[in-house]
Amino acid sequence: MRAVWETLPSLAQDVVIAVALVVPILVIAALLMRGFRAHPLVAALLWRFRWANLMFVLLIAVSVGMGAGLIAQERGLRIGTARAADKFDLVIAAPGSEMTLMMAAVFLQPSDVPLIGGEIYNAIANHDRVEIAAPIAFGDSYGRSPVVGTTAGFATYLSEGAITGRLFETSLEAVVGASVPLSLGDVFTPAHGHGDGAESGAHAGFEITVVGRMDRTGSPWDKAILVPVESVWEVHGLANGHALEDGDRIGPPFDARFFPGTPAVIVRAKSLASTYALRSEFTRDKETMAFFPGTVLANLYRVMGDVRQAMSVMSVVTQVLVAASVLLGLFILSRLFQRQLAMLRAVGAPGRFVMAVVWLYGVSLLVAGTVLGLIFGLVTAGVLSGIVTQRTDILVQASLGWGELHLALAFLSVTSLLSLVPAIVVLRRGIVESLRA
Amino acid sequence: MTLGLQIDGLSVRTARGRVLLEVPELQLAPGTLLGIRGPSGAGKSTLLHALSGLLGIASGQVRWGETEILGLGPEARAQFRAAHMGMIFQDFLLFDELSPLANAALAGLFARPDRRRGITEAANDRLVRLGVPDGARTVATFSGGERQRVAVARALATDPAVLLADEPTASLDRGAADRLIDDLDRVTRAQSRTMVAVSHDLRLLDRMDRVLTIEDGRIARDEARAA
Ligand SMILES: Nc1ncnc2c1ncn2[C@@H]1O[C@H](COP(=O)(O)OP(=O)(O)OP(=O)(O)O)[C@@H](O)[C@H]1O
Ligand SMILES: [Mg+2]
Repeated sequence: MRAVWETLPSLAQDVVIAVALVVPILVIAALLMRGFRAHPLVAALLWRFRWANLMFVLLIAVSVGMGAGLIAQERGLRIGTARAADKFDLVIAAPGSEMTLMMAAVFLQPSDVPLIGGEIYNAIANHDRVEIAAPIAFGDSYGRSPVVGTTAGFATYLSEGAITGRLFETSLEAVVGASVPLSLGDVFTPAHGHGDGAESGAHAGFEITVVGRMDRTGSPWDKAILVPVESVWEVHGLANGHALEDGDRIGPPFDARFFPGTPAVIVRAKSLASTYALRSEFTRDKETMAFFPGTVLANLYRVMGDVRQAMSVMSVVTQVLVAASVLLGLFILSRLFQRQLAMLRAVGAPGRFVMAVVWLYGVSLLVAGTVLGLIFGLVTAGVLSGIVTQRTDILVQASLGWGELHLALAFLSVTSLLSLVPAIVVLRRGIVESLRA
Repeated sequence: MTLGLQIDGLSVRTARGRVLLEVPELQLAPGTLLGIRGPSGAGKSTLLHALSGLLGIASGQVRWGETEILGLGPEARAQFRAAHMGMIFQDFLLFDELSPLANAALAGLFARPDRRRGITEAANDRLVRLGVPDGARTVATFSGGERQRVAVARALATDPAVLLADEPTASLDRGAADRLIDDLDRVTRAQSRTMVAVSHDLRLLDRMDRVLTIEDGRIARDEARAA
């Protein structure tokens, strides 16, 4: 059974779960309502107690929305960060925290990390399993944008060649990310450091011209200004990686004697096997560490997954509480129309019909609340994703997935079963007592 | 079709044993209009409820035609009421949100699908005959008299052999009450329906064939009225 289940494609599994969750509702509906037309009365009762009903629907919507929004948001974040790190197969850096380095090199969060020298860089760059080995250098900024030194080859790789204008050709030229507020031809002077602490006068005299603009990548690099790595070195009064007689040439190869150091080298290997080989080769105590940002992210997702699980337990608890209050509400409301229900039985309506009215009434509120909750969750996740995208430039997209749908259907399934309780209780009240009430 | 009533040893007691109603014997010929009067708390409504099988605590025998209703389970009693009885209440108990026709055709919502059409047609026909203003979207704006006529149409939509009414004119002003009394008289006699109506309204009682006076849970007087 389990073996068969696992051979199913995941879409099929999701569909099967969804159907399994809907079936109990449909079975109850079919058993209760077969041959009856309960909906005109239900519509009348829904309208009569519209404000109380609206309150219930909103209560349900908020609880379902919170659960669904949380799942949607977590998934959006996971997919968004994975996509942003997609181009970063392997990072080689001086030994330290992989997480810090990933945040710095992949997500461009400012941090101080030790440098690796020219010999090691050349060993990586000249390795025959390596296709691209881009040094990156950071520490400067312009406005909200980090200025990142690298190679033209890496800019091409990152943007998949989608650049308006051209690549930088001298150390005073830059290619900007899609959301940098600079146009082609604009000239700027980088400031030393980031944010409010940046010293804008530190690099006075260096005027860099924007010559290219990358298409949107959905990663923090959309916010970055890419300059030749030589530019960052020169701006800081360091050697520029080339012997003097090399003139103003930029880009690889670099001369180890004039290489001031780089915090990280982004590596693209010639094959998947090479990626693994390079990682073990450059994992050297005290000298270098090599890691897959994808693996670091996967670990992060595991933690996020745990958090999500904890939160979904909480959201299940809130939903159980909401379900309980819905049940209570149904009791109270069924008291309000107790005389009308007793009249139905007095004029000869079968018990099943009265149950169908009470049940359909409850389930209408539940379905309305759940649908509204999914919309509400989607909107919340959309707003949160927008904020995350704006703050980090990691493109996070909110969408409704199977997880939320399953959650919502499970909630509906359980509560529509629970809605039978008030329906049965109503039936057990004495007709005459109810008529006199 | 018309049904007569035969009561034997009917007794209604509370769980504590207090006697609410004792009717050792009562016979009602098919097509009779029976009025029930008596002081408040005497047991008039209780008798009506016992006759319609709404009371779980009634013992003895209540026979409508061939059917002994107290011997039936709750669902069979409901079925019997749906098939043979029309109910009219003091405060109408309509669905304010629904149209006059939807209210009058209420029984169609739970009747067998093949009977729905007939019920709706009958409901419509009764509404017209009773002069209920047509075209109203809901009965919410109706006067008491108009509402009670919708309720009568509802009671008659299934063409019942028996009409049971508890204080049908008590919520109406004199004019509306008189009109309703005429209506009830007409719709029952025309089809030889049996009617049992609890009322304080002397004009209503005057139209009945027979009037019982209930006092303290017992039939204190049983008088025939000249038709
Ligand atoms: N379920 C019950 N348990 C105990 N006592 C009850 C119950 N139902 C009715 N009674 C009592 O039975 C008596 C008869 O009630 P009933 O409603 O039949 O009176 P009635 O003649 O219709 O009075 P009214 O004219 O005020 O409507 C009353 O004393 C009432 O309090
Ligand atoms: Mg009474």
